[in-house]
Amino acid sequence: MSRHKISLTANGQRYDVEVEANRTLLQLIREDLEMTGTKCACERGDCGLCTVLLDGVPTKSCLVLAVEVDGREVTTIEGLVKGDELNAVQRAFIEHGAVQCGFCTPAFVIAATALLKRNPHPTEDDVKEAMGGILCRCTGYRQIIDAILDASKKR
Amino acid sequence: MPLPKFDYIRPRTMRKLVSALAERKADAKIIAGGTDLVVLLRDKIVRPNYVIDVKGVRELHKLSWNKKLGLTIGAAVTLKELLDSDIVKQKFGVLWKAASTLADPTIRNRATLVGNICNASPAADTAPALLVLDAKVEVVGKGKRTVAIKDFFKGVKKTALKPGEFVRAVKVPNPPEGARGDYLEWGRTVGEDLSVVGVAALVADSGEKLVRVALSSVAPTPLLVPDIEGAFRDGGSLDEKIERAVSIVQSKICPISDVRCCKEYRLYMAGVLTSRVLKRLLGAADVKA
Repeated sequence: MSRHKISLTANGQRYDVEVEANRTLLQLIREDLEMTGTKCACERGDCGLCTVLLDGVPTKSCLVLAVEVDGREVTTIEGLVKGDELNAVQRAFIEHGAVQCGFCTPAFVIAATALLKRNPHPTEDDVKEAMGGILCRCTGYRQIIDAILDASKKR
Repeated sequence: MPLPKFDYIRPRTMRKLVSALAERKADAKIIAGGTDLVVLLRDKIVRPNYVIDVKGVRELHKLSWNKKLGLTIGAAVTLKELLDSDIVKQKFGVLWKAASTLADPTIRNRATLVGNICNASPAADTAPALLVLDAKVEVVGKGKRTVAIKDFFKGVKKTALKPGEFVRAVKVPNPPEGARGDYLEWGRTVGEDLSVVGVAALVADSGEKLVRVALSSVAPTPLLVPDIEGAFRDGGSLDEKIERAVSIVQSKICPISDVRCCKEYRLYMAGVLTSRVLKRLLGAADVKA
């Protein structure tokens, strides 16, 4: 199997790594870069829990080969905090009880952060549309949607 | 779980892409967005020794429009890029609508239109829209050839591509002046499931001159319904004409029962959606006449 030297920026830091062709971006993030905030669940693009930002764009990392991100910039949940300070979406998730088991939370927070950057004042429908690719099996989404709408008002 | 093993190749020019594929033919699979291929690799439904990435070739990222030639969608153009295009939204509304219903926004950030048709699922959401728009598929291999979209789908997950060939772009001619189109999809959920049935329609001149209807998920391939215009040639009210169109649609499709629903339900819903989309597109114009 072919091996490839790639360099990428993850959460502001540059990494030079060698990856095998069949490695996914999700495996690279969790196993090689040891950032385990991004979750691995269905590994077939259905649940969205592995969502990260690739050059700022929400992307399901289980469907991307690591070798494809050579020269690109990846942002994971670990990259959203500044020092000890949570971002507006993270604070709103806590305030609204939008976290239950927490397994889907990194994906929702990442996707919501990207949404608010692109569209600072989304409607409820905009939020539902943007979160459409991510599944939560605990909260029933109401608190998640409320948290994102609230975060958009507090920015 | 790791994916099965393969070699990854990322050619930087069209010429290198053509020769990389020509050398390996059926031993290679093309990756663009990867949203279908990576799942197929994981499930070992395809087992290539080589995965060839088309995203390294700059010209394949081209999405362009021309007054005379219409729309050109390169193999690496994502559905998100298509949806962000004002030209696509204004002039190719049926395609825009179909692209907007495919999977979910995160998948659409990565998935490509060309990948959607090359995967050749009977449920491919963009296929009915391309069928009513009479799109052309630009195939490159040893030479170049153009395949009409209605001849491109050959069976479940089967296309007209021969080993060593790939799709460079899909070309969509400008629809006739005043044409209106829409795509309606019926499914169990939004985003997380394939459709039960999808219906695209394109009409022009109040429906007397041009009516095209194409469906997904009701036959081994996405299907352009032949002779639908016959329903509008004879007299009667608009409702009667649309009823005749529904009968033609239901006589030409052959849905199956599967995990999503039974064939009878698909047949019924194909009729409901056909009637709904045609009423939506023809209603106002015929009321006037």
